[in-house]
Amino acid sequence: MTMINVDRILKKIDRIPAFPATVRKVWDVMKDPDYSMNELVTVIEYDQAITANILKMSNSAYFGVRRKVSNVRDAVIYLGQANIARVVTAAGITRFYKDVKGYRLTAKALWEHSVAVALMSKILADRVYGREEPMLFTAGLIHDMGKIILGEFVFDSMQEIMNLVSHQNYSFLEAEEEVLGTNHAEIGGRVASNWNFPQEIVDAITYHHRPDLMAEGDSANAWILYLADQACMMMGLTGGMDELSYRGLGMIMSKFSIGHREFEEKIVSLFEDLANARELINLVDATREK
Amino acid sequence: MSQIVVGVSDLKVSKNVQDTIITYALGSCIAVVVYDPQARVGGMLHFMLAESSIDQRKARDNPAMFADTGIPLLFKSCYRIGAEKRRMIVKIAGGASILDDAEFFRIGQKNVTAVRKIFWKNNVLITSEDTGKNYNRTVELHMSDGRVVVRNASGMFREL
Repeated sequence: MTMINVDRILKKIDRIPAFPATVRKVWDVMKDPDYSMNELVTVIEYDQAITANILKMSNSAYFGVRRKVSNVRDAVIYLGQANIARVVTAAGITRFYKDVKGYRLTAKALWEHSVAVALMSKILADRVYGREEPMLFTAGLIHDMGKIILGEFVFDSMQEIMNLVSHQNYSFLEAEEEVLGTNHAEIGGRVASNWNFPQEIVDAITYHHRPDLMAEGDSANAWILYLADQACMMMGLTGGMDELSYRGLGMIMSKFSIGHREFEEKIVSLFEDLANARELINLVDATREK
Repeated sequence: MSQIVVGVSDLKVSKNVQDTIITYALGSCIAVVVYDPQARVGGMLHFMLAESSIDQRKARDNPAMFADTGIPLLFKSCYRIGAEKRRMIVKIAGGASILDDAEFFRIGQKNVTAVRKIFWKNNVLITSEDTGKNYNRTVELHMSDGRVVVRNASGMFREL
């Protein structure tokens, strides 16, 4: 049963559409420190769906642009490099979001959770690395893609999974693994790998619930993503069935030397960012209305 | 009948018996629900963290973010529309934690303790509560009779 499942799940991963070429092109253009603004504008404008999404987001208080942005050129000029990368990435990724029945998640709830994790990852990366880690923002936005794939299988085995979680002290991840032979983090990692994302992102997603299982010396990204995810779940920023059924790894405190108080301060910052990023969060509903 | 939604770090009060006050997805956060059965006045606070000392500026802008600033404001807001302290019934729900309850993630437990301390100091009894565990809760207060209902996604339904 389990083997058949895994096979069906893997086939479903193969059917996931390619990662938006426009987003990849924008990343490529930006790799050159002397990239041409015109080239960037041309690449973005070629993609109407992404352009529309960018214009919806660019006046968000989160990006701190003081003047009205009404076209792609303005966005590229006024948002700055780091923000334009984020905006383009978010604009391209929304298309993968849909209602996920197994976890009882609406597309909007999963997207809001993902944006919150991306924003919190940035807050934590600033603290841990003393700088931004752009890849973490992307990883935050797609860290639960595995749920979109796994949803229907979780739905079919809901009784069994909830039984393990409610009565046998399994985490939701462990229950997925016991019943389905894989878990949503692993599947998410495979999606990222199919999309040819750097190994660091693939690992961060694969281990976002159990960074302690990674090899020693691996990057801190999975730990940051983990902590961001836990913070969001604790604050109710997920509508999923799995809720808070995940393991708390206490060693993270000494790993990052973050105390309770500082952690709580970061949570306050997250809610400030979320309030400023409404346009980003509303993107998924807006996308579906079209 | 109208439904009044309380967001995160938010509080709402009512004296309209037609209203239902509701808050969704309480993780480690806590809903404090108060009701004066005689005046039929009540309210709900959905606070995030225990202590306003975390961010004084935020606490001034939005007292409902923290237990120590939100609870007094909830009571005052109810007094303003006719409630009296001695008649008020207090119920709380939320304060969930992730598994293993690693010290670092004990915000839920900390929140529960903070609420109990505040009410203890003010000689107010908590009539009933549904706290802890590891699931999100939705809480409703029915203004007609003060009924408080707690639900979770797997079908738990409990009247406090």
